[in-house]
Amino acid sequence: MIEVRELTKSFGGTSVLRGIDLTLEQGQVLVVIGPSGSGKSTLLRCLNALEVPTSGTVTIGRARVEFRPNEKPRKKDVLALRRQSGMVFQAYHLFPHFTALQNVMEGQVTVRRRPKNEARAKALQLLAKVGLEDRADAYPHQLSGGQQQRVGIARAMSIDPELLLFDEPTSALDPELVREVLKVIRELAEEGRTMMIVTHEMKFAREVADRIVLLDGGVIVEEGPPDQLFGQPREARTRQFLSLLMERSLV
Amino acid sequence: MGETTNLDIFTDSFLPLLKAGIAFTVPLTLISFALGLVLAMLTALARLSDLRPLAWAAGFYIWIIRGTPLLVQLFIIFYGLPSLGILIDAFPAAVIGFSLSVGAYGSEIIRASIVSIPKGQWEAAYSLGETRLQALRRIILPQAARVSVPPLSNSFISLVKDTSLAATLTVTELFQKGQQITAAVYKPLLIYSEVALIYLIFCTVLALLQRQLERYFDRYSTV
Repeated sequence: MIEVRELTKSFGGTSVLRGIDLTLEQGQVLVVIGPSGSGKSTLLRCLNALEVPTSGTVTIGRARVEFRPNEKPRKKDVLALRRQSGMVFQAYHLFPHFTALQNVMEGQVTVRRRPKNEARAKALQLLAKVGLEDRADAYPHQLSGGQQQRVGIARAMSIDPELLLFDEPTSALDPELVREVLKVIRELAEEGRTMMIVTHEMKFAREVADRIVLLDGGVIVEEGPPDQLFGQPREARTRQFLSLLMERSLV
Repeated sequence: MGETTNLDIFTDSFLPLLKAGIAFTVPLTLISFALGLVLAMLTALARLSDLRPLAWAAGFYIWIIRGTPLLVQLFIIFYGLPSLGILIDAFPAAVIGFSLSVGAYGSEIIRASIVSIPKGQWEAAYSLGETRLQALRRIILPQAARVSVPPLSNSFISLVKDTSLAATLTVTELFQKGQQITAAVYKPLLIYSEVALIYLIFCTVLALLQRQLERYFDRYSTV
């Protein structure tokens, strides 16, 4: 289970997250939407302490870290928390000096201490899952953006995380490459992976999410199943955000 | 008896000069560069460290070495330290001087290469659960190495030529040998040109090695 309690984050004097509470059951897909600057990415990055929260508690699986203002969290706790989640980045951030296969082996070998042959077998299996078993020996620069992002997804899954985090996974992709990445994510959802996704793809959000959270100004404005949130939003702010999106897609 | 021609002098002196180069210039360069690189790496890491005193000490060392002439540093080590009771032979004294120099200049190159690697690479490594040291060793340094090959090759090639300063510490390296032969045959233009030629040969070999190394790192390059 994933639980976030009273999470806040400020950069200097600016607070980006102002008290976030979230619970995510195993196998659920949570999609976070909201205008840019609403704190979506920061929230995601706080879950694996790439941004250290100012205060609050994060629980993922067996790892639980309590953050306090002006107090550095213990390295051991941060590492334990990070090992519970895998992250897929907007700009992929594949390791350019490693092949696709080596990218997916890295975490298994250095972090999970798996023997190389085991790690290789598992990496090949994961690459097959994202449809790239034939590109295992390619370096990232030899792959298209969509292929790179699929390697990124395989890499995130390689450490057997409780939770997969997707930080705008298709925002850097050409429109025709978006589909292949969304297809992989959709398959993972159907498999019952626990996932938290920040995205601007509303159609995709609606079909893949169990729950949607609308974030604005560092707080959760509305939360609910996609049909409710898109169909009968309760909050005026949600209606406003959705109508803005409608306008944009009509242009 | 025939007259000794310039060509005879050239051929007669070539082997002794090359020997001096191989016996002293080459080992002096290789040992100093190897030790210097280790020092450079440690200094770069110290400067990037969160521990203030460590970063400060590294900065101080770089400041001293870069702000004073190499020749003066060599004189302090070889001629100066004995008055403190510290006697170092000429060759090791030269090695110490050159290593300290490579360490200071090289550390700035390594630090800049590390800083040039995009932050996303650190984050990707961290997101897998790697520690700072693991991320540095497995992800950052291999990429930084590629960036630092051209500037470090520059340092290496400079060092080959800088080792001629060791002549002033009585090390009979290539240049010192040239001086000795010149004193005997009195053909400064010929002999010093020959000395220059041998330095040129050494540096050309290094430049070729640099190209090989760059080609090796280019296997994953994007540009």
